[in-house]
Amino acid sequence: MSIEPFNRLVRLAARAFYDDITMKGDNQPKTGRGDNRGMAVVVLDALTRRQWVREEDLAKALKLHSKQLRRTLRFFEEEKLVTRDHRKESAKGAKIYSAAVAATADQKITKEGEEKMKMHTHSYCCLDYAQIYDVVRYRIHRMKKKLKDELDDRNTVQEYVCPNCGRRFSAFDALQLVSPNDEYFHCENCNGELVAVSDKLAAEEMGDGDENARRRRQEKMKDMLQKIEEQLKPLTLQLARVKDLPIPEFGTLQAWEARANAAARISGDSSANDSSRSSQAQGYAGTPMPFLGETKVEVALSGVEAIEERAVADTKPTSVKVLPPWMIKQGMNLSKEQRGEVKAELSTDQMSQPDDEKKAKAESEDEKSFQDEYVKAYYAALVQRQEEQAAASKRAQQVENNGTSTSYLSNVVSETPSERQVGMKEKREEDDDVEWEEAPPAGKAFKVADLNIQADYADASGGDDDDGIDWEEG
Amino acid sequence: MFFHIQLERNMQLHPRHFGPHLRDKLVAKLMKDVEGTCSGRHGFVVAITGVDDIGKGLIREGTGFVTFPVKYQCVVFRPFKGEILEAVVTMVNKMGFFAEAGPVQIFVSNHLIPDDMEFQSGDVPNYTTSDGSVKIQKECEVRLKIIGTRVDATEIFCIGTIKDDFLGVTSDPGAAA
Ligand SMILES: [Zn+2]
Repeated sequence: MSIEPFNRLVRLAARAFYDDITMKGDNQPKTGRGDNRGMAVVVLDALTRRQWVREEDLAKALKLHSKQLRRTLRFFEEEKLVTRDHRKESAKGAKIYSAAVAATADQKITKEGEEKMKMHTHSYCCLDYAQIYDVVRYRIHRMKKKLKDELDDRNTVQEYVCPNCGRRFSAFDALQLVSPNDEYFHCENCNGELVAVSDKLAAEEMGDGDENARRRRQEKMKDMLQKIEEQLKPLTLQLARVKDLPIPEFGTLQAWEARANAAARISGDSSANDSSRSSQAQGYAGTPMPFLGETKVEVALSGVEAIEERAVADTKPTSVKVLPPWMIKQGMNLSKEQRGEVKAELSTDQMSQPDDEKKAKAESEDEKSFQDEYVKAYYAALVQRQEEQAAASKRAQQVENNGTSTSYLSNVVSETPSERQVGMKEKREEDDDVEWEEAPPAGKAFKVADLNIQADYADASGGDDDDGIDWEEG
Repeated sequence: MFFHIQLERNMQLHPRHFGPHLRDKLVAKLMKDVEGTCSGRHGFVVAITGVDDIGKGLIREGTGFVTFPVKYQCVVFRPFKGEILEAVVTMVNKMGFFAEAGPVQIFVSNHLIPDDMEFQSGDVPNYTTSDGSVKIQKECEVRLKIIGTRVDATEIFCIGTIKDDFLGVTSDPGAAA
């Protein structure tokens, strides 16, 4: 489930269609301060970096008034871009969500009495990618069709006007207007020869001026159609790119929470249990990352612990940054896949980009350098670990053949989903080996460091994300 | 578009028909009254295919006529906006041409005729392409698209276009002659 192409679609659509939308309050005077154009784009961008999010948290993260945000979200709900869910919930209910956000499983259950005391309605929102795809396509289709139809006068019922008495007729009256004497329609009123009215807007003008007005209008229409093609090109290209991809689905709020919590429970995320961390995540619009469990790679390398600890320490102050889930996903891929594979992926990605999008190239280069650094660190840690492992396996050799150990190692180097089972087996066989027990948290910490790299990258490139596209005004 | 639907109608029957053939008389009268008529809602009644139910007659005071509620099946024809129809051209003039699809009259105004077709007046007024390969005149068949319908209580009139893909003349008697 690659979400990035869809997020790009959302960002492009936001800039194309919602850039100059003003969320005006009913009784707000239109002052300079009340002008909040561009807010819609900011909100949509923020949503591309989240899944289900509580609206209050989003408001806090965007430093918007919650009322203002709600107005914007309601607008997007009507535009069919956003799904919203409202529910009355107690502190406990809120915690279920927080739990999902922090990907932690063991929140304390609040007592019944407490629940009854506080029941608040909370609203959640989430991008509806499937619908966005359809809505954007439909919108473009309607825009073009309207102009094209107008351009060829298609689907317009011809109108006729009597130059003598000014009475108007439509083509529906044609049967009554035909005359047996000549080829023209005649006025029912005065029997004057009727003149066709070329188009509705130029209806007032008649005669030669009529033709000119019509021509002018046609020119304008052609111009507009051309502009649509030109200016929406990035968007249509992105639509084409996204066409055959599986559309990311988060499901309903409840389903999403359930899945997120289940994922967390399976992975036994110990670091997430840290209450300070989860509360942080919650406070800062808690980037929901429930699918970490899905792509998580646990590298059982106890030798990396020192590095990890440093990484964790570094992460702490910056961990409040918004971490786009799609970037996390990419990072996970890297740590999981062999480097060559990732490179291939990148280059195909680049090829699919249009030439003028230099930005994208720069981004991927940026990304590469981060990935390089990461890979270096990874291999350094790996070598270190291998040395230690070699020492350990010597010890193990005294007890048994060292076949298992080495095979285990090679498993780690390449990707292995069954790594944990192997580890378990190992543990059973060598009860005195403490390193195995420490392994899973080690893998966890490694993951956090990785996220951080990705987060920095996101931060660096997030600002001028859309430089590749020039939206022309008017 | 054609539909097979059930309709209901109150039939008044003169007392002279009361006898062994009352039902036949009633059905015959129904066909005579209903087939070929047009209702704005259902379109043209093309044919009655069956009588489902004849209710109890009610004698009208003073006249002796009896009213029977009759439920019957029939085929109706109702043109819709956007529908593609084949029609026979009945009249061509400078403003466009008229055509008929069964009971429905359709007018195609000249701005909904492709731009490369020019009006030619004369004995047989027609619209012809510059190379003369396609000609629209009386009696020829055209495929057209309905872009508007006016439905009155007793009449349906349509506006059509042949200015779209796959529309236009389908058979041309003038070409053979
Ligand atoms: Zn007149």
